[in-house]
Amino acid sequence: MVVTNTIIDVLLQPLGIYVLALGAGFLIPLFYRVRRGSGVLVFFAALAAMAVIAGLNLLAIINGAPAIDIETAGIKPPFSINLRFGLLEGGFVLAVNTVALLGAWHYLPRLKQQAASLLLYLILVMGINGMVMTRDLFNLFIFIEITSIATYALIGMGRSDNVLAAGFKYVMATSIASAFFLLGTIFLYYQTGTLNIDDIIMNRDLIEGPIGLIATLFLLTSLLVELKPYPANGWGLDVYETADSGIASLISVGVSAGVFFALYKLLPLMDNYLTSIALIGGLTFLISNLIGLKQENTKRLLGYSSIGQMGLLTLAVALLKQTDADAHLPLIVGGLFVNHLFAKAGLFWLAGIVNRKCIGEWSSGVKRSEVLLLGVLITALVGLPPFPGFWAKWELVMLLAGNELFGWIALILIGSLLEAAYLFRWFSYARQQDSEQPDDAPAEASFSFMQIMPVTIAALLLFITGYGMAKTMHVASPEVFLPLVAGFAMWLIDRSHGRLKNLPMLAAVAVGGYLLTNDLEGINRLFSYLLVGGGILVSIAAMYRNDNRRGFYPLLTVLLLSLATLLRAQTSLEFFFSWELMTLSSYLLVTLGRNGVKPALTYLLFSLASAYFILAGFSVAYGATGSLLLADLGNSGDSVAIIFSLLAAGFIIKMGGFGVHIWLPGAYAESDDDFTAILSAVVSKAGIFGLFIIAAHLGVRSDIGLDPGYVLGWIGILTATFGALMAVFQEDIKRLVAYSSMGQLGYIVTGMALMSHLGWVSAMYITVNHFLFKGILFLSIAGVILRTNERLMYKMGGLIKNMPFTFTFVMIAIIAMSGVPPLSGYGGKWMLFNALMEKQWYWITAFAFFSSAVAFLYMFRLLQTVFLGQRKLEHAEIREAPMILLLPQMVMIVGIMVISAYPKLLIDPLSAAIDPWIANTLVWQGTALHAHFGHWNAPMIMAVVAGVFMIPLILLSLFALSMKIQKVEQFNIVYAAERPRRPEETHFAYKFFAHYDRAIGFTVRPRATAFWNSVVEWSHSAGASLRIFYNGNGQTYALFVIMYFVGLFLFNGGLAL
Amino acid sequence: MIKRLFIFMILALMAVIFFNLASNYTENTSLSKLGHYYVEKGPLEIGAPNLVTAVVVTYRGLDTLGEVTVLFISAAGVGLLLRRSRRKQDIDSQDRDNRAEESKNSHKPASEIVETATELLLPMIILFGIYVFMNGHLSPGGGFQGGAIIASGTMFLLLALPESHISRLMIAITESLSGFSYVVVGVLGVIMAGGFLDNRFMDLGTYGELFSAGAIPLIYTFVGLKVGFELSAVLDRFRQYDQNEDTDSV
Amino acid sequence: MNMLTDFPISLIVLCSGLCLILLGLWGMLTQRNLIRIIIGFSLMDTGIHMVMVSIGYVTGGTAPIINDAVAMNEAVNRVVDPVPSALVLTAIVIGLGVTAVMLSFAVRIHKTRKTLMIDKLTESKW
Repeated sequence: MVVTNTIIDVLLQPLGIYVLALGAGFLIPLFYRVRRGSGVLVFFAALAAMAVIAGLNLLAIINGAPAIDIETAGIKPPFSINLRFGLLEGGFVLAVNTVALLGAWHYLPRLKQQAASLLLYLILVMGINGMVMTRDLFNLFIFIEITSIATYALIGMGRSDNVLAAGFKYVMATSIASAFFLLGTIFLYYQTGTLNIDDIIMNRDLIEGPIGLIATLFLLTSLLVELKPYPANGWGLDVYETADSGIASLISVGVSAGVFFALYKLLPLMDNYLTSIALIGGLTFLISNLIGLKQENTKRLLGYSSIGQMGLLTLAVALLKQTDADAHLPLIVGGLFVNHLFAKAGLFWLAGIVNRKCIGEWSSGVKRSEVLLLGVLITALVGLPPFPGFWAKWELVMLLAGNELFGWIALILIGSLLEAAYLFRWFSYARQQDSEQPDDAPAEASFSFMQIMPVTIAALLLFITGYGMAKTMHVASPEVFLPLVAGFAMWLIDRSHGRLKNLPMLAAVAVGGYLLTNDLEGINRLFSYLLVGGGILVSIAAMYRNDNRRGFYPLLTVLLLSLATLLRAQTSLEFFFSWELMTLSSYLLVTLGRNGVKPALTYLLFSLASAYFILAGFSVAYGATGSLLLADLGNSGDSVAIIFSLLAAGFIIKMGGFGVHIWLPGAYAESDDDFTAILSAVVSKAGIFGLFIIAAHLGVRSDIGLDPGYVLGWIGILTATFGALMAVFQEDIKRLVAYSSMGQLGYIVTGMALMSHLGWVSAMYITVNHFLFKGILFLSIAGVILRTNERLMYKMGGLIKNMPFTFTFVMIAIIAMSGVPPLSGYGGKWMLFNALMEKQWYWITAFAFFSSAVAFLYMFRLLQTVFLGQRKLEHAEIREAPMILLLPQMVMIVGIMVISAYPKLLIDPLSAAIDPWIANTLVWQGTALHAHFGHWNAPMIMAVVAGVFMIPLILLSLFALSMKIQKVEQFNIVYAAERPRRPEETHFAYKFFAHYDRAIGFTVRPRATAFWNSVVEWSHSAGASLRIFYNGNGQTYALFVIMYFVGLFLFNGGLAL
Repeated sequence: MIKRLFIFMILALMAVIFFNLASNYTENTSLSKLGHYYVEKGPLEIGAPNLVTAVVVTYRGLDTLGEVTVLFISAAGVGLLLRRSRRKQDIDSQDRDNRAEESKNSHKPASEIVETATELLLPMIILFGIYVFMNGHLSPGGGFQGGAIIASGTMFLLLALPESHISRLMIAITESLSGFSYVVVGVLGVIMAGGFLDNRFMDLGTYGELFSAGAIPLIYTFVGLKVGFELSAVLDRFRQYDQNEDTDSV
Repeated sequence: MNMLTDFPISLIVLCSGLCLILLGLWGMLTQRNLIRIIIGFSLMDTGIHMVMVSIGYVTGGTAPIINDAVAMNEAVNRVVDPVPSALVLTAIVIGLGVTAVMLSFAVRIHKTRKTLMIDKLTESKW
């Protein structure tokens, strides 16, 4: 009994990992010979035990036990080899063993065919454990070799044609790297007389002169090369591309993890070369993501991403070391590592299951569950919330900002954006076939369930570790995670019918939104009415759709609640978290549209760019103030202007500002029709809220100077002008209103930019107004599209007879938008113009007038071509839009009427909320608002206009009864010297404003689109020219390995020797 | 040609670096810290006159276990890479006779001199191998050297009698059991002595005798057997794959 | 005689080892045949082993076996460092393992592709 207990004690120590792995490894061939199943059983038992041992010991250490030092042979180090199992080691080992266990599950169909492959896999995992735990330099070499040889053999087991060639290149390159390691080790021993890493570090003064330099660089080169730095990584890419997914995943996450940890252990010896290491890591991250843009092969794409991630980790660890921020290591390096580990391994497995050579081929026959997992894993990999990568990247960026390393931040953000571009491009392909894709057939279900189970667990682990990290960073409050939890709850009932899900969704958002926002004050509270209340109002309309709408309601729940958390964010981290959550959920919602996938990708990339600008802005602020509180933004001293510019750039992109608007028409037009209403009426207000935050905290400060505000004013008015101009020339009804939306947001930006009380009140007033009329317009359009199945305006006409309510609502909305009395648009424009004149921004005022005039053109067209004129024959029978669509519109009509007649009801709270930032300058006399250039008495105007309209209307009705009316048949149009070339040209509504096109069309040619296309093209060709080094020849790759050493030598003072 | 020139330049730079190493090298005049400790304490602590063995088996025992593992997985890897097609594995036993037959056709028999010499020398070679690993703690040699000598005997056998059959089963059992026993001996060190792979859980015995130095002879026996059989297996794999080539189309 | 004392024995071994490494690398980088590349690797590996052994040499030392030939009390001044010898033993075995695996790759490549020329094996690139 005692002996058994002792043995169990021994095995439960970290040493047990080796004992079990080796013992089982040696015995597997025997068991396998007796019975194949027993060999597999021993294999799994050992792997599981390795994970459990790591887990138990790590738990003990987290609970306060000291790091475990394992000495061997009963002799003290440095005279014997010792192993260490501390917090970092434990985390790495546990993570690697867990992923290895899941990977074995995925890989089992191949592994179990041979006893050798089982034992190789097991010992490979042990080798990685050893690389992490050993504290002896030469022992480290042995574990590297164990890992390498097992890897070679498992690569060679692959089925694809070129796997052997790729494997040979891999062996060539890594064997040279190993040779360097051995040389480095022996010369370090020559100088220090010891092999124990701690002992060497203690005696590092002895490492000197040319021998010391060369020896250290040998070690460094070897480890860096094993991490596959650009350009010495072609051999790694070839293996990722050709090897089985089971082994490719283990190389990508496991072997790299071991090598990376080895590098970390030896980093104290590399103090002088940290810059080199950071540069190599950073360039590898940037360049491999750039090249990844051009990659079509699924697994090679993952290879580029893998290499990029390891580059990022290398960069992070070097910079952390350089800034003496070891305390941040677990969170940053650990977070990035765990994120890469589970996400990349999961993606490799998924690629293995789906088994499509090119990412383009993912567009057919990929199951719903697989697409879902792909989405989760890619989201994690890109570093979006709530996954560990998000928190780690945030910490890293903030830490770098604290040390004013802004160049590195830029590099990391650009690289991340590139990575997002190709990963989500892949996801887009997979999303494209979603509509026709069936649920898993029951017969296959159990098999495919077993297959995707490891991937699913990896995804779950990402959620869990993400939450754990949030907890460590003290942001894991229930409020922050409420959107996700509510979304998850909605997802559980996602299989039920669409209409049934609407009410629970509304209830969830209402309750959640109330809980989140009921303690808000001031402007945030006003925004909460608009975003949450408005969101609920518009979402009611979603019930008009009769289908299942898989995914729509969970995502909408997340979106609306994340808007609520955005409003209550106290720190920039909470703000950014909610912002990213909003970006992500709205992106996914756009992909649900009929042809939404492609425009959604553009939307996402611009949104991410926007988010990264915001992150950069926050990081500069943190660097200046050392505080994450939004309230401290203003204390940033000299950096105020740059912070303001970065954040404003982010919000402008998100609002579709001039030049960065190209995502907007596509995303608006191709979304589900009711979701477009939410996007335009509700989600776009988040950008305005952001703008308000920075305007309030930074913009009003005297030391910022006028310039950023003035520039912002111009951007706003140009957006308004070009939005209106482009709306004029649209044929597609949704695109027209989308451009109109962009233009209206431009006015709001300009109003904000004024940094005056009246300016801000006008901006907020227009914001509310915009919510009302855009909500009505897009919902009306949804009704029209529902009934006619058309989006091109010249294919409609005369719908006033069929859809009188819709017509009336559109008309009221258009009047409210246009800025003619008596409706609310007039008040907004009136205040804006007054504020502009007060500020003496005359040119901007002129543009504002011009764009308002242009807006009339498209508004007229909208009303005229859709509802007036002749009705198409096939539209004779269509009915009014469904009640559920009209209901929210009615509420909003009431809203428009109220704020038109009694603007004070709205302006007073707005003014009060703005007062803390800029003192109130509004003067009321009764119901009239007085300003420098005149006054505005809304109820009065309302009464006058009503009178002016009603009298002719009554007269007209009377005359009409007695007049003879001649009906004109459709197409009864006489053309003067114009010959129609295509059928639609015979319709007056086609190219309605063609005559204007000749005059001002040059202003709306798609220059921005052309510009962004050329950016894409440029990055693709840059990627293409950067990958010429990968010529496929193993000798070239080996040469690069040697060149890395020579280069490092020359770079680090070798010339001086 | 330009590529060659480039390679030459890079290697010339390597040569410059190596020259730096060599020109700054001065021969040691005294032992390193580690070496000093081992030479001073080793004989008494471990009880093995051959200090290289003391270092290999005990002080750096984990290395040696790793080394055994490396050889083990190399053999497994070679086996995996040079496996026959799956169909043939399933009918492994029936297939064996056929292959023996084929091999007769594909290989020229060795001359009579070689064959006779093999019969004469093979037992001696193997015996020598065993001697080398049994005496690893006393004289130059040890498990790896002994195992390599045994494998050279196998090589000899395969050259002289190409059709001779080596039992996979016996190899598998021996290498598995000896490897496992090595691990067990290591664990015994933890339980009964100072730590993993401590050789002193057995009596150190009289210094300089065959059965002394604790578990070292035991460990070296396992290592010797394991290395000998593994290397033999590797050689056998290459031979068999070579033979399969004409008939087997994977 | 004078030459030899100026040029210590271990330096000769060291230089030969380094030359062998360069030779091996040259072979790995320029020879197109896989088998020759593997020979290059072996040369390089052997060179490294020689370098390792040379590092362990102590002027005038003998083999670190403490028996009748070298008494225990004066051993510290008379033997060479046992550590590099132990390391080189391990390194040799590892080199052997890698060589064996490389050779089996070469054999398999020759069988499936009917070529041993490395510049014919460039399908996967970019």
